[in-house]
Amino acid sequence: MTEIILQTTLNAVYAASYMSLIAVGLVLIFGVMGVINFAHGELYMAGAYTVVALYSHLNFPFLIAVAAGLAFVGLLGILMEYSLFRPLRDNPLGGLIASIGFLLMLQTAAVLGFGVRMAHIKPPIQGKIELLGAVLTYQRFLVIAAAILLLTGLYLFLRKTKIGWAMRACAQDREAAALQGISLNQITRIAMFIGASLAGVAGALTAPLVSPTPYMGHSVIVTAFIIIIVGGIGHLEGAVVAAVLYAFVHTFVTTFYDGVVADIVGLVLMLLVLVIKPTGLFGARERA
Amino acid sequence: MREDISKISKWGLGLVFLAALLVLPQVLSYSQREIAVLLVINVLLVASYRLMTLTGEWSLGHVVIMGVGAYASALFAKRLGVPVPVSMFLGASTAGLAAAVLSFPLFRMKGFYFLIGSFAAGEVIRLVWKYFSTPFGGPKGIKLIPGFPDIGPISMFEPENYYYLCLAVVSLSLFILYRIEQSRIGLTFHAIHWQDKLAESVGVGTFRYRMLAFVLASFFAGLSGALYAHYIGTINPTRFDVEEMVFVLIWAIVGGTNTFFGPIIGVVALTIINEIILRSLGFDSARPMIYGALLILSVLFLPKGLEGVVQKAGRIFKARKAPEPTVRREQNA
Amino acid sequence: MSQPILEVCDLCRSFGGLKAVHNLNFAVEPQTIHGLIGPNGAGKTTTFNVISGFYAPSSGKVVYQGRDVSGMKTSKLAEIGLIRTFQGTTLFQEFSVIDNVRIGCHNSARSGFFSRITGMDRAVETAALDKAHELLAFFGLSEIANEPAASLPHGHQRALGMAVALAADPKIILLDEPFTGMNPDETARMMELVRDVRRRGITVMLVEHDMKAVMGLCDVITVMNFGSRLVEGTPDAVRNDPKVIEAYLGRAIDAA
Repeated sequence: MTEIILQTTLNAVYAASYMSLIAVGLVLIFGVMGVINFAHGELYMAGAYTVVALYSHLNFPFLIAVAAGLAFVGLLGILMEYSLFRPLRDNPLGGLIASIGFLLMLQTAAVLGFGVRMAHIKPPIQGKIELLGAVLTYQRFLVIAAAILLLTGLYLFLRKTKIGWAMRACAQDREAAALQGISLNQITRIAMFIGASLAGVAGALTAPLVSPTPYMGHSVIVTAFIIIIVGGIGHLEGAVVAAVLYAFVHTFVTTFYDGVVADIVGLVLMLLVLVIKPTGLFGARERA
Repeated sequence: MREDISKISKWGLGLVFLAALLVLPQVLSYSQREIAVLLVINVLLVASYRLMTLTGEWSLGHVVIMGVGAYASALFAKRLGVPVPVSMFLGASTAGLAAAVLSFPLFRMKGFYFLIGSFAAGEVIRLVWKYFSTPFGGPKGIKLIPGFPDIGPISMFEPENYYYLCLAVVSLSLFILYRIEQSRIGLTFHAIHWQDKLAESVGVGTFRYRMLAFVLASFFAGLSGALYAHYIGTINPTRFDVEEMVFVLIWAIVGGTNTFFGPIIGVVALTIINEIILRSLGFDSARPMIYGALLILSVLFLPKGLEGVVQKAGRIFKARKAPEPTVRREQNA
Repeated sequence: MSQPILEVCDLCRSFGGLKAVHNLNFAVEPQTIHGLIGPNGAGKTTTFNVISGFYAPSSGKVVYQGRDVSGMKTSKLAEIGLIRTFQGTTLFQEFSVIDNVRIGCHNSARSGFFSRITGMDRAVETAALDKAHELLAFFGLSEIANEPAASLPHGHQRALGMAVALAADPKIILLDEPFTGMNPDETARMMELVRDVRRRGITVMLVEHDMKAVMGLCDVITVMNFGSRLVEGTPDAVRNDPKVIEAYLGRAIDAA
């Protein structure tokens, strides 16, 4: 029994890691641009397929493929910012709808390029850590380590650099930030690059573990919505805490009960938060 | 005087249109007739969606609500042996009832929160269908749903005949939806959208009206689901997933949501593009990409949708007589 | 003296730790024009919002026609004749002028769902339309009945706001800063309109900054400071009260 609990805990920590990366990216984009990026799950998918293309098909080293995934998806983010969210800056609903259009385009591109079937990727890193009978593969460990590293880096970036400071100011009050002489376009471009590349790197790192399909973004975006609502929209730390909370609840319910029930529990949790405290468990101020 | 003429020409246009709808199955192939049936059903779906948006709230659960109507009607007919025409009505009512219940949590939210809340509520319903094999049939859904009973010698299994049935039901529904929108109820929905505090200050119970819009829209969405279920004969949770909702959004937005006919223009135009142009070109797997591009282009460049284009064309056609005020709601006082 | 139409008893409303309204008491007599004034932050607007049901009171009561209506919803209060207006030009900007007033007729134009879609509501709707036209004539807006509200000049928009409120058949109407942003001509015209409203048998209560208008218009004035009542009386009594002058220290009361 202890083994199962320990194993499930490790699984939950792994799930929390990549979910945090995705949710934090979504929150960052919302915070700075005030728009919900429905295509975020497809950005994750694009990261995974970068690894499929470069590592599986072209035999590049795995970490190079991951770095390429980060950069490529970040650039996709900049493309979205430039072509969709900037022209629709005063129309958050329009931005959301446009991102749904972008989602369809990315999904179709993946279908056309790679087919609808699952892509199997040979594990790039062998070996595992054994701990009291529970197992953590190096591959999963890599995801956990990368998440901690990247999120710490983002935290320091937002706290310690001028651009990071400007970004937070922008999330507080866009007009005021603009008055301070912050170039709004530059800030939103950087935020979109970081937000998208976090989703991309999550997809790239987990690609060997999940067998990518073009439609994998759907469950990811549902999960990300639950996390950002529970954590409070526009609240970065809240997103991380909510990701951990959700990962544990979901993983344990799945292990000890059933996957569908776990999904229902997650959604009901989110509905409860929406009804009782729409600003989220950790959020205070309200936007939108 | 000029109004009389425009009224007559409107009626004339309506009659020509009706005649075209009645002759339509005769000029279509068998498979095209099937598509025509689905198109008529989708017209009801998207028109009911517009009623929902009048109060300013955009739901992402509308297709799931359509599914509630489909599941309920199928179960009433299959499990309880209720005659199909009655079960269709019961199915639609069940969808309306579901909306009434959902109103209590959902209308505590507004705008973006409502959007996400409706999405979550819809996903919960879909997961419930998936999880409970009895009575919902789990992931495989419900099969062998009884069809609409034959009327005398007329077989309702024939797409042509079912098309006429749907046309009748949907026309009546559209008439009701149109009357609702043109009545004070519609005006009040608009009022809540633009200034809910002011509406409240003169006695409008905003929660009740939001709930009314949601229930009415859901009733007709449920009806479209029932029409679908008893025609296709099989339904499952995937049929009512968010991808389908995206199509409804695309129809509504590409068509334009400012007037009653915008979303209908959208679904008809996109279905024609889809079935005639894209299918004949063999672009099948690239279709979602074209849809996505159309959605983005219309959000960026056609804020009023195709219907805005039609209006503009109409105005140019009418020659520039009197400059119309820029902000003017359609109104028949 | 008759029973007051509106009474506020020991009313309190706090936001977090801030007591915006604290033990406020006053009564509005029927058919009067009653002013509520005070320096910025005295709690006037909060009082208005509590009376009109936008906030529930933290403690204390709002009594309307002898009935405790504390915490009642705005729309319910409107049904029983307590109507408020809004600051500035809060209107259905997208609607035509006449449709704005038609929405105001919500209470008197009730009808069943079935009669709405069959058109059997024509009688109530005709009555509502007549009433709307009558009100537009009353406010001198008849000629622009079909213009979109957004295209109206500021003064007309404010008059339209009153017309919308009057359409709801108020017994008492709460006017939230009806003169703000108006030039002297518009103010004079608005004062005349408020008097006309009272002549229709409607009690008027108003929150206002424009001292000249308040002094010239009101029968009774309640002065608020720090969330409670400082002084109450006729314009003359209030104008000469040293406490009022002290509260407005540094501000010229231009009517004085």
